[in-house]
Amino acid sequence: MSLMDSLAAGFALVGNIEAFFMLFVGLVVGVVAGAIPGLSATMAVALTLPFTFAMTPINAILLLLGVYKGGIFGGSIPAILIKTPGTPASSATILDGHPMAERGEAGRALGMALYASCTADAVSNLALILFAGWLASFALNFGPPEFFALILFSLTIIAGVSGESLLRGALSALAGLLLATVGLDLVYGTNRFTFGSPNMMGGLNFIAVLIGLFAIPEIIAMAWNPVAHLGKTRALGKSRCSWADYAKSFKSIIRGSMIGVFLGSIPGIGAAPAAFLSYSEARRTSKNQANFGKGEIEGVAASEAGNNGVAGATLIPLLALGVPGDVITAIIIGAFMVHGLQPGPMMFVLNVDIIYGLFIGLIVSSVFLLFVGSLAIRGFRFVADVPKRILMPGVLVLCIYGVFAVNNNIFDVGVMFAMGWVGYIMMRNRIPAAPFLIAFILGPLLEDNFRQAMLMSGSDPIILFRGPITWFFWALTLLTVFAITRSTLRKKVPLS
Amino acid sequence: MGLGVSTFGASLTMTQKSLHLRLGIAVSLGALFLILHAIPNYVYAPSNVRNIILSPLFWPYVVAGLTAIIGLSLLFTAFRPGEDVPFENEDVVHSDGITPWLRLAGLGAIMLVTMFALPRVGMVWTTMLVFVACAFMFRTRHPIAAVVCAVVVPLLLYAFFAHVAGVAIPQGDFVRLP
Repeated sequence: MSLMDSLAAGFALVGNIEAFFMLFVGLVVGVVAGAIPGLSATMAVALTLPFTFAMTPINAILLLLGVYKGGIFGGSIPAILIKTPGTPASSATILDGHPMAERGEAGRALGMALYASCTADAVSNLALILFAGWLASFALNFGPPEFFALILFSLTIIAGVSGESLLRGALSALAGLLLATVGLDLVYGTNRFTFGSPNMMGGLNFIAVLIGLFAIPEIIAMAWNPVAHLGKTRALGKSRCSWADYAKSFKSIIRGSMIGVFLGSIPGIGAAPAAFLSYSEARRTSKNQANFGKGEIEGVAASEAGNNGVAGATLIPLLALGVPGDVITAIIIGAFMVHGLQPGPMMFVLNVDIIYGLFIGLIVSSVFLLFVGSLAIRGFRFVADVPKRILMPGVLVLCIYGVFAVNNNIFDVGVMFAMGWVGYIMMRNRIPAAPFLIAFILGPLLEDNFRQAMLMSGSDPIILFRGPITWFFWALTLLTVFAITRSTLRKKVPLS
Repeated sequence: MGLGVSTFGASLTMTQKSLHLRLGIAVSLGALFLILHAIPNYVYAPSNVRNIILSPLFWPYVVAGLTAIIGLSLLFTAFRPGEDVPFENEDVVHSDGITPWLRLAGLGAIMLVTMFALPRVGMVWTTMLVFVACAFMFRTRHPIAAVVCAVVVPLLLYAFFAHVAGVAIPQGDFVRLP
């Protein structure tokens, strides 16, 4: 199929009001959820997922991508106005955004955050369109040994989402790998940890585990301390972001977008490091270096460009290789699977209309984000006033409905509650939940490809090193492990 | 080395080493349990599988072995000489004494009752009660709004999932909705 044919197929799929409406709704939901501290973009994507079951795959994925992109921008609003990042990616925005809000320039800071976000989003989408297809055509040559090496390398992304301790991140990942073994064995069909229950034979439901890990612990945390969320909201002020402000920061925005694209396309790095790197580069090269940290608008632009530049780029490994770039794309992989799609190189052959439909939708999302974002900035006062102690019970009810709807099975609701307590215990013990989820998704793929490779070779492990592609991924894995070990040792707190 | 989770009201601080000691012991014991009891008893392999690599037992044993290594590494970092770092913003001991623990227990009880009530009372009515119970347990400052939301939110969700998404929402044995 030629490029024009693929584009036409994509247009045929998304060229209707419903698809764009879903994208728009997704952005609104994402911006609102991102703007409420405690309701992260991750939780918003997870909670939206059950609402997509009745939709066509393209509408469902567009809705979720809208939530993702809206959530990343929405996080900057509370970061600037109440010094609480709505998402971890917005942490760098606080550095200059909140001082601006303190001196009555919140409207200007939020405007710059929006324009930088939209610009970076567009750059990131362009990178996705240019590179994903190329990478997928390369990955079409992969067999089970190559996929095993790739997924093993992808597991090193756990280091990127482990937070303050690599050991605790690894522990979380192993728990995820172990939980992924529950169910019938992939080759022989024998029971593994099913305890005789037919409900466990298909393995634990992905959405129940996901919502249990990311939404329920926040509700349990509210039971522990119902007043932890109370804070002080700053007014917008009268000043607005001008064209001159944008032009002055344009270089930092483009550089931040590039940094976001580069780091986002590497699985596991995520948006927060991209935002901080973009911020530090902007500070290093700026003429107003001394103002950084005291309310410099270029600082807001750089950090927002950095974190939004990641959003499209994390979809490159997802679409081309079937490997999640971060925890939100791990959830989106689950959404693809729920709708009968398997992200990866074969999707560029079998579902090229969906791929190009997504590309078109993503381009439009940058324009929609500009519109939704400007409304959200004005309406944040109402979002900030939503009482959390009513919102959280509502989230719990939504979780119950959403998880039940996956399989019409009350057992899944029980799994969600159990995983919620597991997630809360992990939270209290500072064990990150993201590695758990990523390993839970990648675990079966890793085992499946490993055993297929062993069946192909008559159990000869040499097949795992059979050609340049496997050598490449093994080398990347070793390099990553070496780099992680070295950087951990340099911190003088070995592996912790 | 302060291990401060189980005592109420005392001013104990959780440190990196105390956390790793606690986790290290739990994880090592968990790995031993997996290797010695859980995997041999709850993972079934056909008797004709000669090669361990292809056996359904292989992967769980690999994961359990790696877990044991992580457990030992946590213990190593807990006992290694060097400065210990207390965690910032740690909310281990609550100023309200035993009340937060009671709220946690209450939420656990709500979840248990929910599992029991969902098939019998129906999802809509159960979630209405769950909403009200949670809102009041979280000491909401808007009780009337909480009650209104407790009625409206489950009904809206029912309308969407039952009539738009076509999900067979449990109706219970008492009052059935259209």
